[in-house]
Amino acid sequence: MRGQRAALRPSRAQTRGAAIAALVALAPLLPAAAVALGSHEVDARLPYLCTLPSGPQTATVRIRATVPDRATVGETIEAADVSTTLELPAAVAAELTALEAATVRMETTLTVGVGQNGGSTDVTWLGTAQPAAVPAEGPLTLTSTGDVPALTTGTAGELTLTAGNLAVGLAPSKADGTPTGPASLSVSCVPGPDAEGRTLAGIPVTPGSTGTPGPGAPSTPPTAPASSPASFPSSSAAPSGQPSTPGGRETAGGAAGAPPDPASASVAGKGPRVATGNAPGAAARPKAPPCVTEKPTSTSLSAYITGYSNVRKLDGASLIPVSCVQLEQGEPVIDFRPDGSIHLLQKSEGSLLYQGRKQSPPFTSTFLTFGFAPTTATLVLEQAGPLIVESDVLLVFPDNIAETYIRVPLVLRVLDVEVNGTPLDVGPGCRTVKPLASPEPQPAKYPGDHLVLLGKGQLLNGTDATGYVLTSGGPLTGEVTVPAFKGCGAGGENLDRLLTAAISGPGNHIRQIQGQTCAVGVEVPTEGQCTADRQPYVVPKPER
Amino acid sequence: MKKQIRNFAVVAGAATAAFALAAAPASAVPSTVWTVNPTPAAFTATNSGNVVLSVNGIAMTCTNSKASGTMASATGNPATVASISAIAFGATGAPCTSVLGNVTTVATTPWTVVGQDYTAATGVTKGYVGNVDAKVTVGACVFRVTGKASGTYTNSTGKLAVNSVTGELTVVSSTNCGSAVPVGAKPLFKGDYLVKVANTTTIPTIVGSNP
Repeated sequence: MRGQRAALRPSRAQTRGAAIAALVALAPLLPAAAVALGSHEVDARLPYLCTLPSGPQTATVRIRATVPDRATVGETIEAADVSTTLELPAAVAAELTALEAATVRMETTLTVGVGQNGGSTDVTWLGTAQPAAVPAEGPLTLTSTGDVPALTTGTAGELTLTAGNLAVGLAPSKADGTPTGPASLSVSCVPGPDAEGRTLAGIPVTPGSTGTPGPGAPSTPPTAPASSPASFPSSSAAPSGQPSTPGGRETAGGAAGAPPDPASASVAGKGPRVATGNAPGAAARPKAPPCVTEKPTSTSLSAYITGYSNVRKLDGASLIPVSCVQLEQGEPVIDFRPDGSIHLLQKSEGSLLYQGRKQSPPFTSTFLTFGFAPTTATLVLEQAGPLIVESDVLLVFPDNIAETYIRVPLVLRVLDVEVNGTPLDVGPGCRTVKPLASPEPQPAKYPGDHLVLLGKGQLLNGTDATGYVLTSGGPLTGEVTVPAFKGCGAGGENLDRLLTAAISGPGNHIRQIQGQTCAVGVEVPTEGQCTADRQPYVVPKPER
Repeated sequence: MKKQIRNFAVVAGAATAAFALAAAPASAVPSTVWTVNPTPAAFTATNSGNVVLSVNGIAMTCTNSKASGTMASATGNPATVASISAIAFGATGAPCTSVLGNVTTVATTPWTVVGQDYTAATGVTKGYVGNVDAKVTVGACVFRVTGKASGTYTNSTGKLAVNSVTGELTVVSSTNCGSAVPVGAKPLFKGDYLVKVANTTTIPTIVGSNP
């Protein structure tokens, strides 16, 4: 029943981190087919119109990718080496310089229209860029790279990729590495009126040898679901990112489907499955792991958190599934500083919780190593010490500027790995040798390896609070180094070096979204914050 | 937490102020007869601009606040010219916010609107929103604010402008709010409300006189 729809493989991108690492490690064992038979280089420079906080600006967007020359029905179609270069005029660089920004990091979300036989659907190409210097003069040019979803189609006919809207997140930093205020800028760009040639590629799809001998008549492909006239029915296995049995290609088999984590729940039957999943109807609460606070106090809070961690080595992102965090909210304290400033400080302590253990839920991810060898890895983040949340709110009437640091030592454990459907025994103790480590702004005060996430929030002159606030949630970002792995392998086979080579390394950007907390112990919880049994009601969606 | 509490109190104060339209003649003689038109009447009030409660410099912003009650002519000075039977801060999808988290305020009503002074030349009544009593929750921090909040009511616009003065509102209880919002903290409330006769576009008027 593979339809003609281009099936996005979100989970692949999401989980990729760990999984990818595992795959890379195993790569020598795999028949590393190079990129398909033939490939085609896409290199398009298009005029865009971008909306910045200061107003509209023209921009040039250059999109590069390598796509297959052709494909057969059911075959995975993947764009590789995807990069998006955004060239913004000098005025934008000046704007950042005015914020005292020395460097800027970019994240991009490019909407790509996938068309075939008159039908179309949109997919998103996500990209992240390493921090780049803000030029003293001249245009600001930033290039992001990232993983993009794979596509399959059940119908013959040319499949086209067309560039659409581009959403850009800019995170400027000062010379000393601290974020500017504001810490981030959102820029939305649309193709300019004279942006001709937005079609990036046309890929002929021919009937394959897999039992769907469509004679090139796209209207009635034998495998097309009746419910999806004219468009792209998605592959049933789409969310897993596994390939869909092209001739001669290997697959992981149908069982290695979507991971059980709730975040991967996707919207079925409507367009491609989206990587971020977790997109319920307006009213429905998405599924989430249990998060009942066993012995609540009057200061107990609980919340869900989810998001992505890039695996820099693998040029992809791993989805950390919706995880339960339970906290005891600290008492806020007013601090009058010698410099005359007034701060509101609050220190809270808590932990991840999954089935009674201080860890994330296991997350299974299936992806293709180098685009071809399907690999499934199951991973978990284990907490190795207290999770500390410290908020520092600068009170400068009438503004309140908040910074919240979350520190927690986490060990990444690999539970199992499956390559091409063949389990690879990593043993019971396959973990990083020490906790993941972030750059620590206060190493003397906070020694040891741990993850550091920073959330910024503010309330300016009587307007609504924006950004991250502990009890109402928001985005948290950080960067982490993944240490070497140890204890991986069984039966005399040591996989430490493979996993280390694949995954371990510095500079992995993390963006987590925390949802509204449930104040578990208050007499009457605020409507919309807790479930009837006082679990967090709000289940956040991961964002790039 | 003390600060948080203040913010909440401020909100409460604002609501109070809206009702506290006192009509006192600008003359040396205070108003003792307060003529509300129409009277009696049910009214509704909707915020115009954001309503902000602040405690110890911690601001709590509400982009949505509504109140309702009844108003009627009265005598004396001060005189209660309106009773606020319901007042809401925040709405579904538009909660009140602060850097400590979303703010939930539950008012214990009725609050009153009290007139003290009326200026005939401008049609402005000075007074206060009285009997303010609200419980404010931010995360695990819960505090209660009571007191009053000074304000004015302008007949030509129907605007009840609440702008409390330090000391009018007080945090009387506080749990898990630390020194941010301690008991005894003095919140401030500031917010404007536009008042209408319920289900109409009619702006009610308050006129003070001393016959």
